[in-house]
Amino acid sequence: MSQVASLLIALPLISAFFVPVLKQIKKSLIFPYLTLITLLQTGIAGWVFYEVYTTGKPILIYAGGWRPPVGINLYIGPFAALFILIIAIVSFLTSLFSMRMVKVEPIDKYAMLFLLLMLGATGMIATGDIFNLFVFMEITAITAYALTAYNKTGEAAEASMKYMILGGIGSSFFLIGVALIYGVTGTLNMAQLAEFASAGKIMPVVAQVGLSLIIFGLAVEAELFPLNAWAPDAYQAAPHPITVMFSAFVVKAGLYAMARILYLLQKVNGWDSVLKLLLIMATLTVIFAELSALRQKDVKRMIAYSSIGQVGLIALAFSLGTQAGVDAGVFHMLNHAIVKTMMFLGVGYVGVMVGGTRIEDFRGLGKRMPLTALSLSVGAISTVGVPLFNVFWSKFRIIVATIQAGFVWPAVLVLFASVVEAVYYFRLLHVMWFAGEGERIKEGWIVVFLLLLALIIVGIGIYPTPVWEIVKRAGSDIFAVKVYINNVPLLGVVQ
Amino acid sequence: MISAYYFGAISLVLIGLYAVLVKKNLLKILIGLSIMETGVNLLLISIGYVSGRSAPILSEGITPSQAVDPIPQALVLTAIVIGVATTAMALSVAIILYEKYRTLNIEEIRRLRG
Repeated sequence: MSQVASLLIALPLISAFFVPVLKQIKKSLIFPYLTLITLLQTGIAGWVFYEVYTTGKPILIYAGGWRPPVGINLYIGPFAALFILIIAIVSFLTSLFSMRMVKVEPIDKYAMLFLLLMLGATGMIATGDIFNLFVFMEITAITAYALTAYNKTGEAAEASMKYMILGGIGSSFFLIGVALIYGVTGTLNMAQLAEFASAGKIMPVVAQVGLSLIIFGLAVEAELFPLNAWAPDAYQAAPHPITVMFSAFVVKAGLYAMARILYLLQKVNGWDSVLKLLLIMATLTVIFAELSALRQKDVKRMIAYSSIGQVGLIALAFSLGTQAGVDAGVFHMLNHAIVKTMMFLGVGYVGVMVGGTRIEDFRGLGKRMPLTALSLSVGAISTVGVPLFNVFWSKFRIIVATIQAGFVWPAVLVLFASVVEAVYYFRLLHVMWFAGEGERIKEGWIVVFLLLLALIIVGIGIYPTPVWEIVKRAGSDIFAVKVYINNVPLLGVVQ
Repeated sequence: MISAYYFGAISLVLIGLYAVLVKKNLLKILIGLSIMETGVNLLLISIGYVSGRSAPILSEGITPSQAVDPIPQALVLTAIVIGVATTAMALSVAIILYEKYRTLNIEEIRRLRG
């Protein structure tokens, strides 16, 4: 019965291949089809989520019936179940928005790439094998390159090219890391790798170099400091719904993969120095992103920088090496996914209705499109970390965990960056509500979803405890490697 | 003494990286990326090599104990295909870039800034 969960990978793949057939029949069917498939995916993901959280046992899927480490296994534990559900819901929302926002031909290729992007991110989070992780990462990356260049303007091609060159270097480095780790252990399965690491059977030098290369490779996808130059350009030039997907889950999948591999090898000598490297990268990411956001004229680009800053915060939480830090990081991932989905959808909607996303276009938005402006304001206030909104709780927990782990300087720098963040978000709020005049623009049914997301943000902000309970279980899925090893029954290994 | 295979593979990666970092022409950068991918694939293959054994195809006279490690070959097959796909994608974007900017010099392709 639990093998039904393999539909999470199979359904988007099969339906992506049916898009060209559908195009031959009737072109106007493509977007309703996309919405239907993402709705189905949400249903399956919801069922998997319910199953994992009620039984408390992860769902394991063996490809072809071969037990790991011989075959590839998918491991859908509490973390994967939670994030696959988020991926599915965000994809469903963006597919609805795509009907209004994507007018450029060819729509069939857009739908196909959209489904493959969803597939890649789901696979990255579900897989239990490092080479399979590489394959899913490349599926995600190549569809992301293509979707960035989708608008066929010079800017879009330029952004896509930057992303492609950085992504190409990153994936090569990732593969070298995989090769080194395979060469020294002889396995690609994550559970067996963790077992070897805890038994001290991995040569520390190779494990450190391999781990650093893997982190370097994943940092391109995860937008960490020296490797994130592609991100603001890609966010600015890509179609609006695709920006939502980048920010809400492509980055998260990279971060999760990074945290997973990092914590699998936590018993290796010299692991602390790899953590320090990640800590420095994460802190620099937060500061550079927030300072660059301060001088942006384009609102979409500004929110892109803000998104990178938040991602740096998540990476900081993951690099602390404590249970509290990982939990806080997962909580922030969840909150950030909700908030940035709403922000990018709102900004994209304004961009479509008004015809641009420069800061002048937002002048007097409170009078022209009050409901959109309201939800954007909720998102902005929440991102800054004001109490009674969801991001406050996760940011607070990250700062506390950082100080508990003994890193006072990173905590101070991140808090300073939050102040910078407040400056540019309140500037946006000022422009929207207290400047300019304008005619009322009729807002469509899309606003209902924006307001619903805003309601969720406030809801989590007021009652964080139920969500926190879920997040704690997801966090222990990453941190407790012992449990992970025991959950994956390895062939020919006596437990 | 480092084996010549490892040395050669890593040198190819470094040559590719050098081309990506230093060259100004977009096509040369893409060639650098391709060289880098080749280097990585060679490294993977050479990790699976066991001195004196034959290809892992079980036929007459060849038993499993006489074959090299088959797993890296499966990995490389996948990685080659991925590399070709990335290169094809990058080249098509390079064509669009040339149409829009009339140059392939990366210092002149700079409309997105800030």
